[in-house]
Amino acid sequence: MATMVNPNLITDLQKFGAPDINACYSCGNCTAICPLADNDATFPRRFIRLAQVGLTDELVTSKELWTCYQCGMCTARCPQEADPAEFMATARRYAIAKLDKSGVARAMYTSPVAAAVISLLGVLVFGGFFASVKAAPADRLVFGVPYEWIHLVGLVVMILVALVAVVNLAMMARATAKREGVTGKSLFGSKQAWGRTLRALWSAIGVESLGQKRYREDCADDQPAEPLYRRRWLIHFLTLWGFLALFAATLIHYGGDIIGVPESVAESVISPIARVIGTIGGLAMMYGVTWFGINRYQKVSAAAQHTSLSDWMFLGMLWLTGLTGFIIEVSLYLPQAHPQPWAYVLFLVHVAIAMELVLFMPFTKFAHVMYRPVALFFYALSRESHKQLQSA
Amino acid sequence: MTEQKPAEEAKANPEDRRIGVYICHCGGNISDYVDVEAVRDALVDEPGVVVSTTELFACSDGTQHDMIDAIKAKGLDGLVVASCSPKLHQVTFRNVANRAGMNPYAYTQANVREQASWAHQHDRAGATEKVIGLVRSAVAKTRLSDELHPLRFDTVQRSLVVGGGITGLRAAIGLADIGLEAVVVEKAPEVGGWMGRFGASFPSEASGKDQIASLMAQIKDRRDITVYTSAELTSKAGTFGNYTVGITLHRDGGDKELSLDVGSIVVATGFDSYNPDDGEYGYGMDGVVTLPEFKELIDTAPAVGKLSYQGRPVRSVAYIYCVGSRQGAGGNEYCSKFCCTSAIHSSLLVNKIDPSIRQFHLYRDIRAYGKFELEYGASRGAGSTYLKFADDAPPTVEKLPKGGLGVTVTDLLTASREVILPVDLVVLVTGMVPRQNKSLIDLLKLPVGTDGFFNEIHPKLRPVETVVDGVMIAGCCQAPRTAAESVQAGLAAVAQSAALLKKGYAELEPLVAKIDPDKCVGSGECLSVCPYESITMIEWDGRQIASVDPSTCKGCGGCVPLCGVDAIDLLGYTDAQMRSAIEELISAEAPTKAEAVKEPVS
Repeated sequence: MATMVNPNLITDLQKFGAPDINACYSCGNCTAICPLADNDATFPRRFIRLAQVGLTDELVTSKELWTCYQCGMCTARCPQEADPAEFMATARRYAIAKLDKSGVARAMYTSPVAAAVISLLGVLVFGGFFASVKAAPADRLVFGVPYEWIHLVGLVVMILVALVAVVNLAMMARATAKREGVTGKSLFGSKQAWGRTLRALWSAIGVESLGQKRYREDCADDQPAEPLYRRRWLIHFLTLWGFLALFAATLIHYGGDIIGVPESVAESVISPIARVIGTIGGLAMMYGVTWFGINRYQKVSAAAQHTSLSDWMFLGMLWLTGLTGFIIEVSLYLPQAHPQPWAYVLFLVHVAIAMELVLFMPFTKFAHVMYRPVALFFYALSRESHKQLQSA
Repeated sequence: MTEQKPAEEAKANPEDRRIGVYICHCGGNISDYVDVEAVRDALVDEPGVVVSTTELFACSDGTQHDMIDAIKAKGLDGLVVASCSPKLHQVTFRNVANRAGMNPYAYTQANVREQASWAHQHDRAGATEKVIGLVRSAVAKTRLSDELHPLRFDTVQRSLVVGGGITGLRAAIGLADIGLEAVVVEKAPEVGGWMGRFGASFPSEASGKDQIASLMAQIKDRRDITVYTSAELTSKAGTFGNYTVGITLHRDGGDKELSLDVGSIVVATGFDSYNPDDGEYGYGMDGVVTLPEFKELIDTAPAVGKLSYQGRPVRSVAYIYCVGSRQGAGGNEYCSKFCCTSAIHSSLLVNKIDPSIRQFHLYRDIRAYGKFELEYGASRGAGSTYLKFADDAPPTVEKLPKGGLGVTVTDLLTASREVILPVDLVVLVTGMVPRQNKSLIDLLKLPVGTDGFFNEIHPKLRPVETVVDGVMIAGCCQAPRTAAESVQAGLAAVAQSAALLKKGYAELEPLVAKIDPDKCVGSGECLSVCPYESITMIEWDGRQIASVDPSTCKGCGGCVPLCGVDAIDLLGYTDAQMRSAIEELISAEAPTKAEAVKEPVS
């Protein structure tokens, strides 16, 4: 079936920081050298080609976009210096914006001013919301606005943004499934299909997303190879697990509060557990994120040559969340019995940024957390299908 | 024209000729299958043979010197080399004779390699017998050879150039510079041809119009060049070095005729652009144009600004390559060679006018050869996208419902995905076709290839000469090529014209038909078969007889058997020579050394 091309795709991609891919003459060296490209996932050449020709939908909803970890080997070997690695990164930014029908992502990626304003507004709304949850008397006003209103606005924004995330993810999953020829029947139609689906799920979420198997084993040779303590897969692994640990600690802490665990139990059992998990997680995340920042600042490898505003914002928010968290924790051990007012403000900032980080997921680089596992699932499914075909 | 020296009337007795016979081993090619010693021995006692010897390689430098020494020392007046085909070494041994002071036409080559040793590798005795026959036959022919001399005649120091395009104009300047007068005949009212129509053309930004103007300025500076426009070559008589041509000048108030003597003719009539059929890739639809039409569109666009077609802005362009070229059996099978680079160069010009115009190139293979590869790279760098389609899946063009044109193509580089490109303009990258020029072809007897372009004698060694002596071809009338290559061919034709004419005289092989005026009864039958129109009736001794113009006769011999009274002889191959040669070949006489032939062929 013939597809109408979008002649302006390249121009549009350039707004997202695409490198000059006109130089690419489709030799395919990048695909040949890519440790992750195989018969079930061919990239990056194909994506550059899609951009050159103008096939927007295929570019945006192909699973391979998210199976790339941007080691940069393709860029190192490109005879035309078309920078395929950076192009893949741009294409992911573009996909995030394209999949987000609200337009927020596009605004944030294409305009630094919009990015700053939206981020700041987010922080204010979420901060205000939490301030209103905690200890705010109903009659107090901020700039003449009642706290209740702020609370309400915060709640609505949170729900809306969460809805956007769900819708975006569902649309991406549906489009990718269609592209891959995956149907409900092929997923759950038979016992064999069930087996395939479950194995693919385990591979996508367990082995790859949480275990980072291929990132660790196949993308080990960044150019140039870094010492282990700052190698990309390791710092990514620590960042990921650190974040998860912090998330878990938060859930344990507030979860207990919400389900009404007696304060004595919370004080003596839950809080120490949460604190231990949070401290270890925080250290791991701060370690990873700090090295990410240093690597990018030093442009230490092919993968760190270009850092867009969204990269810095993502790293910055993670780092700020961690830093403020630690300061708050330290403040708890200070001689004063009760938290200082500055600690309270810091707490609001901490919570606001953390909320923004998570809730702005569909608009920012954080979106890879929701899209990548889905893509990896379809990739694993394709592999499983081929394996079954071969053994049959 | 100086007359040929008459053959000596008082010939020596053939038996008294002093002939040298050299039998070549050809390094085993002959001697492995033929008993060359037996051949030598068989010839020793042949009447008129003074030397009979074998050589490992008769064509080697050393042997050639030995032959020259032998000719001089023994006063030889005939030479026979039994070796390979005369195609290979006839000239070599004629030169040997010449250098030794012997008449080169008293040399005969017996082809015993192709005709005997290679052909009868499993019959040594039979091959040997055949070789003896062939060599005896050659000796017999040589015994009766006359002393012949090349025909020499004066040449006119003027060349005619047919076609006033870039090739013809540049050739005219070259001719004048080398000391030959040049006359350019251009059919159109203006000189310049295709180049004169266009602006910038690859590989530079230089305008074709400007280049033609510069050539015309140079022509005005030279007294020895005459340019006729609205003019046609309408008649040709005479022979190379000395043609008489008629030129018709189309002028207001009637045609004017002009007659000129010229030594050579350079045909530089150029090409026609392929004209697509109605509907071929959408041709005929609004917005579908050929490459020349597109070039004119670019030429009339502002240097920087907007490109527009019929008042509508052009935001996107699709080029479809190989239109009218590489069509496969039955069509134009050749590659037009210039069009890839021309289209690429045009797209770069479009980039200069408006870099935001989106350009798609739909190609089968990009043949931007040599330095043009850089233009290809530059156009990709400037944002042109190249899509490769398969030979058997050409793109299609149709109107889009929302306006504009849709080009549907299956791109091999996008995993054979079928895509529709929405564009404002479709450029059919049309190739070259031979120009329709039947009257000129008939007039000059130009050799036309199956593709309709004119043929040279040899693509590498004689690239601008035709089989018609003194008629050269240059430029795109010969084959599709670039302007630069056309000009090169034009200058090659200049050099070749100079080589023919600058000596002041020309020499021809004397191997032509000769009519014995005493025998000729003037039947005129020979006139009807001569393909070169070399025979005319003349008044001789009060009666009409036929006469051969030796400068136009090719020595084909077609007239010889037709003469009822045997009045025609082909010099170098006279009836007497050939009869004697044949008799010697079929004579039943046993070899003189019977032991050499152990198993006679029955």
